Amino acid sequence: MSIPSSLGFGLGLRSIYYPDILEHEPNVDWFEIISENYMIPGGRPLAILECIRADYPIVMHGVSMSLASSDPLDYAYLRELKSLAERIEPAWISDHLAWTVVHGANLHDLLPIPYTREALDHVVDRIRRVQDFLGRRLLVENASTYATFQDSEMEEWEFVTEMAERADCLLLLDVNNIFVSGFNHGFDAESFIESIPIARVAQLHLAGHGSYETHKIDTHDQPVCEEVWRLYERARLRFGDISAMIERDDNYPPFDELLAELEHMREIARTADDVRSRSAT
Amino acid sequence: MTLREIQERFQTSVLAGLASGQAAILDSLRDSPRTDRATLFAVYVDAYRLRLAEFVSTDFAVLRDYMGDEAFGSLVEQYIATGPSHHRNARWYASRLPEFMRESAQWRSDRAACDLALFEKGLADAFDSVDAPALAIDALAAAEPDDWPRLVFEFHPSVAVLDLAKGVARLYSALSDGGEAERADPDDDETILLWRRDDEPVYREIAADERLALIEARAAKSFGDICTLLEFQNNDETLLQRAAGFLAQWFADGIVTKISLST
Repeated sequence: MSIPSSLGFGLGLRSIYYPDILEHEPNVDWFEIISENYMIPGGRPLAILECIRADYPIVMHGVSMSLASSDPLDYAYLRELKSLAERIEPAWISDHLAWTVVHGANLHDLLPIPYTREALDHVVDRIRRVQDFLGRRLLVENASTYATFQDSEMEEWEFVTEMAERADCLLLLDVNNIFVSGFNHGFDAESFIESIPIARVAQLHLAGHGSYETHKIDTHDQPVCEEVWRLYERARLRFGDISAMIERDDNYPPFDELLAELEHMREIARTADDVRSRSAT
Repeated sequence: MTLREIQERFQTSVLAGLASGQAAILDSLRDSPRTDRATLFAVYVDAYRLRLAEFVSTDFAVLRDYMGDEAFGSLVEQYIATGPSHHRNARWYASRLPEFMRESAQWRSDRAACDLALFEKGLADAFDSVDAPALAIDALAAAEPDDWPRLVFEFHPSVAVLDLAKGVARLYSALSDGGEAERADPDDDETILLWRRDDEPVYREIAADERLALIEARAAKSFGDICTLLEFQNNDETLLQRAAGFLAQWFADGIVTKISLST
């Protein structure tokens, strides 16, 4: 099994930044879209996406596949997703280890699951069926969680590891989500990263979050914090040169600030790569 | 408990909210090292309402300006309370708002607000409707004059004809430019043709005879039938000229995508 070649250092493609991207062709290696934002009949968003796609690699990241739902898979959604993929030719498609829909009602949130054998069998089966339908390997992301279940029989990283191996999918490791969930549930974020199989991780996410005394919330409305940068360095040391990007979905700063964050990510990666090459010799 | 049962209980508890006393899911959750399960579950409860409210506010930003935060907030709360979203894509969650307002005893009496909502939704629908290339007027010139009565037209998928309270489109324009506008007149009407041109929604007011012609043309009536209908309604000597004028304007607007001959 091979993971896709690294695309380098990317940003989330958000409409507020269209003018910056179209006018200045910024030094961003690739962009990640929210798939659902472009699962629309037509018009400007798709035209702009095609324009940006001509100059940059694109990755499709969804929020509505509801992989862990106990509802049947939504093939109408998957057909739309596949159709967008045929149009955009993304480097890969990703979604979350989460559910959003039960009984057809969508809470529009990435909701947590109990880490049970039953849930694991269910999710593995669905990832396999989605991969068969899409004709490509899926990247599955660990979501930020605020609740944990009495019924859980294993830790999140054990669930994620076995899920990836059995479903033969790839992982999108969200470093910020590991940090947020680790704070919320009292596990060690670095140990999480160290326990994930290297051969399964194809992409990293970084983002900012909201902090409260008793918990943190994955808001994507702040710059990446120092602790998450340190985790990114740890992840780069472990996983090497894999695609990484910064998500920003609210409280949007000037685009230059995101470019500065991206440059910071490159510096950290360079440092980590030096350490890796020194320890290899 | 099965995954299904947990998800059903989780969803019911989010929809009911913690204050309802129906958050049965709490029995299935753990406390964290720093806080109790109710505080953590409340993140999902709060996020659900905030997220849906944000979808509506984003899609109806001008209506919000018009109504003010308090009245709009009350409207949104009522809309959310009608039930959960059944759309995978958040883009469509708020699309029933104009219909909800028209059916609501509280909101239907404010015709300007109801029609502003309808207009704003129309613009959003035009913005991302299906793509289709506009037909150049040369295609019309190429048709034999004898064939004109049999001409039928297809229109750009973004085209919509909205009957609104007089002044709603002007009100929208003024509010979206950050200015003051005269109130719309709920006792008088205007018809707005809206569509997408160069990737942006555009609109113009149309008179009663153009409205009639356009509605018939969109129903695949031939140009000859449309002229007959207009003649019946107006008994006007300049009718043919005006009908040809409508047609030329539709091509200039870029809303005609195909012409063919009726059989």
